[in-house]
Amino acid sequence: MTSGRLELKGLVKEFGKGQEIVRAVDDLSLVIEPGEFVTFLGPSGCGKTTTLRMIAGFETPTKGAILLDGSDVTSLTPDKRPMGMVFQSYALFPHMTVAENISYGLKVQKLGDAEIQRRVSDVLAAMSLDNLANRAPNQLSGGQQQRVALARAMVVEPKVLLFDEPLSNLDAKLRGQMRAEIRSIQQRLGITSIFVTHDQDEAMSVSDRIVVMKNAIVQQVGSPTDIYRHPNSVFVADFIGRSNFLEVTDVKSSAAGTADVTALGKSFSVPAHDGAKSGNALLLVRPESITVSRQPIPGKISGEGKVKTVIYYGEHVEYTITTSTGEIVATTSDPGSDEILAVGENASFSFEANRAWLLPKA
Amino acid sequence: MALKKHGAKFDIFTKIAIVAVIAIISLLIVVPVLSILFESTKPSGTNVFKSVLSNPVIRQTIKNTVWLGISVGFIGTLVGFILAYIQVRVNFRGKKLLHILTLVPLVSPPFAFATAVIVLFGRSGIISHDLLGKTPMLYGYPGLVIVLGASYFPVAYLNLVGMMRSLDPAIDEAASSLGANKFRIFRTVTLPLLIPGITSSFLLLFVEAIADLANPLVIGGDYMVLSSRAYIAINGEYDVSAGAAYSAILLLPALLVFIVQRYWSQKKSVVSVTGKPTGQIAPIKSKIGKIPLLVFGWSVALFIVLIYVSVLLGAFIKILGVNNTFTLDHYRYIFSGIANNALKSTVFMASIATPLAGFMGMVMAWLIIRKLKRGADALDFFGMLGIAVPGTVLGIGYAVTFNEPLKIAGHTVIPQLAGGGAIFGGALAIMMVYTIRSSPAGQRSGIAALQQIDPSLDEASASLGASGGRTFRKVSLPLIKGAYLTGLMFAFARSMTTLSPVLFIATPETPILTQKILAESDSGRYGPAFALCTLLIVIVLIVMGIITAAVRGRGSTEFKTTLVAG
Ligand SMILES: Nc1ncnc2c1ncn2[C@@H]1O[C@H](COP(=O)(O)OP(=O)(O)O)[C@@H](O)[C@H]1O
Ligand SMILES: [Mg+2]
Repeated sequence: MTSGRLELKGLVKEFGKGQEIVRAVDDLSLVIEPGEFVTFLGPSGCGKTTTLRMIAGFETPTKGAILLDGSDVTSLTPDKRPMGMVFQSYALFPHMTVAENISYGLKVQKLGDAEIQRRVSDVLAAMSLDNLANRAPNQLSGGQQQRVALARAMVVEPKVLLFDEPLSNLDAKLRGQMRAEIRSIQQRLGITSIFVTHDQDEAMSVSDRIVVMKNAIVQQVGSPTDIYRHPNSVFVADFIGRSNFLEVTDVKSSAAGTADVTALGKSFSVPAHDGAKSGNALLLVRPESITVSRQPIPGKISGEGKVKTVIYYGEHVEYTITTSTGEIVATTSDPGSDEILAVGENASFSFEANRAWLLPKA
Repeated sequence: MALKKHGAKFDIFTKIAIVAVIAIISLLIVVPVLSILFESTKPSGTNVFKSVLSNPVIRQTIKNTVWLGISVGFIGTLVGFILAYIQVRVNFRGKKLLHILTLVPLVSPPFAFATAVIVLFGRSGIISHDLLGKTPMLYGYPGLVIVLGASYFPVAYLNLVGMMRSLDPAIDEAASSLGANKFRIFRTVTLPLLIPGITSSFLLLFVEAIADLANPLVIGGDYMVLSSRAYIAINGEYDVSAGAAYSAILLLPALLVFIVQRYWSQKKSVVSVTGKPTGQIAPIKSKIGKIPLLVFGWSVALFIVLIYVSVLLGAFIKILGVNNTFTLDHYRYIFSGIANNALKSTVFMASIATPLAGFMGMVMAWLIIRKLKRGADALDFFGMLGIAVPGTVLGIGYAVTFNEPLKIAGHTVIPQLAGGGAIFGGALAIMMVYTIRSSPAGQRSGIAALQQIDPSLDEASASLGASGGRTFRKVSLPLIKGAYLTGLMFAFARSMTTLSPVLFIATPETPILTQKILAESDSGRYGPAFALCTLLIVIVLIVMGIITAAVRGRGSTEFKTTLVAG
């Protein structure tokens, strides 16, 4: 599919007036390629929903423009935009059956009865909803309602699919299942999709690219690995997964994308963000990059401390280590039972320099 | 009612409360209604029943009644719907003001409307005659529809506003993102989802319209309906059995609607399926939609204002429209004779009945929500009968039941309570009517309040050894005080403005304000009628002001629940 290219140009949205103005979205620019799955991720209130609603046409941007396949849709009402939306509350029409819900958009398009019939039964089959066609929405489970909502949005073959926290009303297991399903359908059909969530796992597992937002402002745009491994700020690092930040001294720019630093009394070279090379920086080390052992591991960067807490999860052990530079969290996977340290024991923690990431402090 | 309740073992306070409540409901509503049914089986009553099919006059009366109910139901619901739609879907200046103006007819004597409409639009009305030079056919069907529609559409309005607000805006948005334009969304989503609210509003108005007596008397002209027919049978023809028969016919649809309503509201509408409504429904922006809606809304408001301004002015003007000179004569007139006593006795009786009704409603609510398992539904049903039974029917029931001492085996069990020669000049019967008409509002608001309070509070109190009575006083009552007080406010307003039941049991010793207003406007003395109306409105407003001040700061949700329930 070659259409479905979405361009957001300097979007601003303000609510209220006079003294009470709230800027919900501030100068957001982004190009979303056809068939791409982009997720807006950020804490509640950061402006994700507002962004999505501007794309859908439910909110008019205060400033900026929205282009779909090159044509300006900023002033079009939602019904004139070839986009489908899946809502947090599903928003199924309670007075219509599943089949009627799904055929609603097709009837609006004034398609022939036979065509409608065919497409509805196709999508019912694809979403394994066949035997529920004549049920009312309130006779469905949450997961089934979710499927119907998705089917209803997809069946009209929109150029862009929009999702506003569609999984937040489901239980954990179903949530995992549904997000895999959404992703696979999206990839099969190649529909440009924009997904909003505050759940980083969800964002990581479905997206081609993630847009991290905070206080109405985009913090970082990148692939899941990029965002996780190379966050551009303490906020992003903290929001996506868990982080240890080590103090560093003597930051010196070395080869492209790396810097020489001194930390834990040792000097070594680490991958670095461009903005961190000037000196005011912290070293990010993810808990799973750190191995806790009784002896330092040769060839790794290591430090010493005391075990404060130990939590055994089976597949991994989580330690909190008290060190001279503060507390460090480490998860050691696949621990042998004799390798697990006890509370109060002296511990070494080690990590590979190339797993660390130097990022700007402020 | 999914809340947990105590076990079936009741403590002494609860037992007393149950017995007392059952006794009161039986005496105040069940016995009078049964008496009507009994009375109507006497010869002149059965004559009425028999001739329903054969006698064209009676048939016409029934047809008129039904047709009036349908017309008022339809027009009132339509007007209420449009105003609710404006309130929920359009943004404009003065939204709050329009809301308040829309609610004004709820808390004033409805026949203030009829009288004002006559003065403005009647045979020699200011607008119809002096401005337009026409004499419209106001008396009878058209006048009744206008006046009843204007008096009761706020009921539909409140009903529908609540329902429209509870619709998930995402449902509209979903339709919109599927390509439906505003009109299509309205037709295929909004309207179908509101059908339950529309139907229930229609039914409520239907019942209000057929149950009303004051307006058919003032403005009905030759358009005979069951309530006015019953009134004539009793007060003109002195044929109580025939009157009872007419009211039995009236009772049937009223109870039917009441039962259907209950069934529906318990079934819970399909409106909210999942999730919490998020955000706001997008307001209507297009001028083509907005302007006609606003013009209509403000016209209705203007009409209401016009009515009340003419009531207020009419009280200070010699003859409104004919001799527009300022005068205090009307007030002098009413205070020289008719008003003093009526004012005193009405306020006195309402002041006694109101707290009783409020207390009774609360005890009912508490029993229904917290104490009874089986029987809670039945108690709720009988508790609400006071409002479900048309006032005309209730009044006739009281007249039939209490105009003579109730004797069992030659012994007087209950002395004569109503009519001339009754104890306390019949005041007891009137206070009973006030109480039973008002307690349902207290019951509803009490139930709404209690349902929001965790029953474990009660249980905690009980587990600390508090008796049922202590728990009610120290735990439940303080928690529902806000609702209780607002409930009281409407109970008082309702008592003060009640007319139809009172007409049948008022005595010369205990004159009632509403009855005096009717008498004045019936004999064409509109000035004094307006003065009395103003007086009544002022008293109601003062009491509401006092109670509102007492409730202030308790949150307005309770206030709203009461509004809807009242
Ligand atoms: N209709 C509105 N009116 C006023 N403020 C709003 C409205 N919608 C959102 N906001 C404000 O805009 C900010 C962003 O909201 P939203 O986009 O819903 O955040 P998110 O979806 O990321 O949780 C919040 O501060 C919110 O209070
Ligand atoms: Mg949101």
